[in-house]
Amino acid sequence: MSVENARDAVGDYRYGFHDPENSTIRFDKGLSEQVVIDISELKNEPQWMTDVRVKAYRRFIEMPMPTWGNCDLIDQIDFEAVTYFLRSSKGTETDWDDVPEDIKNTFERLGIPEAEQKWLGGVTAQYESEAVYHSIREDLEEQGVIFLDMDSGLKQYPELVKKYFATVVPASDNKFSALNTAVWSGGSFIYVPKGIHVAMPVQAYFRINAKNMGQFERTLIIADEGSSINYVEGCTAPTYSTDSLHSAVVELIAMEGAKIRYSTIQNWSSNVYNLVTKRGVAHANATIEWVDGNIGSKLTMKYPSVLLKGEGAHAEVISVAYAGTGQHQDTGAKVYHLAPNTTSNILSKSISKDGGRSSYRGMIQVTPKAHGCRSKIVCDAIILDGESQSDTYPTMEIGNASADLEHEASVSKVSNDQLFYLMSRGHSEEEAMGLIVNGFFEPFTRELPMEYAVELNRLLELEMEGSIG
Amino acid sequence: MMQYPKIAIPLRSVHLWRYTPWKRIHPTKVEEMPAADIIKISAGNDSKMEDSDEIARSFIHSISKVCKSITLNDELLELDLRCSGHICAGEILLKSSGNSTIIIRISGDAGWTGIRLIGEVTGTLSVAVINDLSGDGHLLRCEDWSVGRDSTLEFATLSTGGFLNKSDIRVTLTHNGADVRGGIASNGHGSRHDDHHFEIQHSVGHTNSLLVMHAACDGSSHSVGTGILTICEGANGSDAGQVFRNLLLSEKARAEAIPELEVLADDVKAAHGAASAPIDVNQLHYLESRGLSFSEASSLIVEGFLMDAFRHVKNQEVLTTLRTRLLVHLECLING
Repeated sequence: MSVENARDAVGDYRYGFHDPENSTIRFDKGLSEQVVIDISELKNEPQWMTDVRVKAYRRFIEMPMPTWGNCDLIDQIDFEAVTYFLRSSKGTETDWDDVPEDIKNTFERLGIPEAEQKWLGGVTAQYESEAVYHSIREDLEEQGVIFLDMDSGLKQYPELVKKYFATVVPASDNKFSALNTAVWSGGSFIYVPKGIHVAMPVQAYFRINAKNMGQFERTLIIADEGSSINYVEGCTAPTYSTDSLHSAVVELIAMEGAKIRYSTIQNWSSNVYNLVTKRGVAHANATIEWVDGNIGSKLTMKYPSVLLKGEGAHAEVISVAYAGTGQHQDTGAKVYHLAPNTTSNILSKSISKDGGRSSYRGMIQVTPKAHGCRSKIVCDAIILDGESQSDTYPTMEIGNASADLEHEASVSKVSNDQLFYLMSRGHSEEEAMGLIVNGFFEPFTRELPMEYAVELNRLLELEMEGSIG
Repeated sequence: MMQYPKIAIPLRSVHLWRYTPWKRIHPTKVEEMPAADIIKISAGNDSKMEDSDEIARSFIHSISKVCKSITLNDELLELDLRCSGHICAGEILLKSSGNSTIIIRISGDAGWTGIRLIGEVTGTLSVAVINDLSGDGHLLRCEDWSVGRDSTLEFATLSTGGFLNKSDIRVTLTHNGADVRGGIASNGHGSRHDDHHFEIQHSVGHTNSLLVMHAACDGSSHSVGTGILTICEGANGSDAGQVFRNLLLSEKARAEAIPELEVLADDVKAAHGAASAPIDVNQLHYLESRGLSFSEASSLIVEGFLMDAFRHVKNQEVLTTLRTRLLVHLECLING
């Protein structure tokens, strides 16, 4: 596809439009213990959850800002200028026709209903703080698969939520996980029963529409023994001159022999701080895969992690990042080998352009009892101009002599030989560059469902426009 | 310039201090300025060195009573640093031109040793540093090298002595055509802790750097290798590489590797790699089937692995010295 066609298809940050705000409930800006209690009361939550929130809020106040990533940018976050709860719809609908017209139009422009009909097993659409639409295929429901927005999950399965909530990412993990635990709203709750394989991906779509909005969804996925699920999430927001904050927490629990794949295409507008904590626990012979694409946002700090807790567990992290003007993509992966014969693969690819900065920050830890572990990390980066920056900060802590670890990273520019070869076949320099970049990201796109892969390629082609000369 | 002890204690979130924090390597309490004996430096003229804003350098400068200036011009120098007493410290200013070689041997039974070295290289300089301190000594070693136009620094360290070691080595490639090739071999045994930190900065374009660190860890030893490779804005045409490899020989041995890259220029080649693995059982089996005992076979593999860290060092004098010293060390380990 040519760049012109890509522009026709995608437009200038295609998702930068916004609708007029028609909120049913909107909290005043700012955060206090009362705001936290009010959110909980509004949702009619059990007392234990209110207590968890309040405790987390107190931790949030005490905890310092992270000292890694982009300290200059995160220090600019004004927590008092953020709206912590905004309800746009009276409830979560199961039929698109019942969703308020303006919100429905938004999701139609994003192509969600069409995608649901064609290739998804279930959809959650979150608008501001809460899910406005939710559905799951009947056959999956009959098999006992639970796929709900997190608020409904807490209402309908309080014991299950209580058992697993914040067990993988505790509130005390970092300042932003404490914030999320205090003010979380929305997100997905999934439980896949023993031996059930959910063949079609389920999708969640997160949209911030209002100015200075904070979105704090909480996702909890539990795949019981021998089951599998493929979860896909996408994120967009309008472009405003003021900043919004997205601080999610995702917890995955893969029981013995289970498999969870969690794919993200993050395409927030360039005024969104994206500070997300994602972590999974893999029990014996389980697999957790993070497929993570970061195209948008002002600052992303996200390091999908896996705790390999059971023997034979496996982790796979494939991530790509694109950092353009004014963007810093501080991404990476963390894998903790806590049990024998666990394995992990990490592949990270990034492109920096027009003054953007991409950083890989990773951790591989092998504990003394984890015999026979294997891990491989590959980080490749391309810098397209002299104003951009690319960094790699890997950490390897090896506490067991039998561990076999490899790490390799390279930073370079696009090879002149490759450009020349493609141009000698009739491509313009820009097209050739686009092809090379798409090829560079190919190990990532081939892991995505087809529609996502096509969309990602279009986005990248658009972002790459004007990268020559 | 702020002087020790006014400099703030560095946080452990900084990689340089993550595994060997300042409190651990400081010989007494961090707020104290202990009296230090002098290191006996076998060559050089009395001189003075400026203080530094960096905490370790400033501390050594503050307690050190000896500073020697050494100038090399197309010559070979074997420099002995004899360390004795409870705490000892010393500073060295080194200027080299032409095709020179310096072999520095750090030895003695001092409880704590602090060495600060500032080196300026024009021409080609081959450096071998051998840490041969007694088994219970602590060593803090800070080096700052600057490499000038079309000059080469060949840098090799064999670290086998001391109980708690921290080396902070920084190299700045200041002019076009500057080249640094470094090799570090560390052998961990007993409860030895050996922490090497490297910062290589390509300030201008068309400069090359290559750093290889190999650590073999036995017993409950702990090896740490952290590196920051920075290619500054506009330093196009730079070629930089870092490799950290760890060979873990026992259940309780530990190794950490953090090779970092910060690249602010686009027309560069920058790569780093790290690997960690146990000894290859096939290699052991091959050697044992030729009649070697287990300890002789592992020792031979360790020797090959550690000497491979110096594969980019071309100076034969340096290589021979390092090999001889390594063989003696491994022999001592086998024979107790």
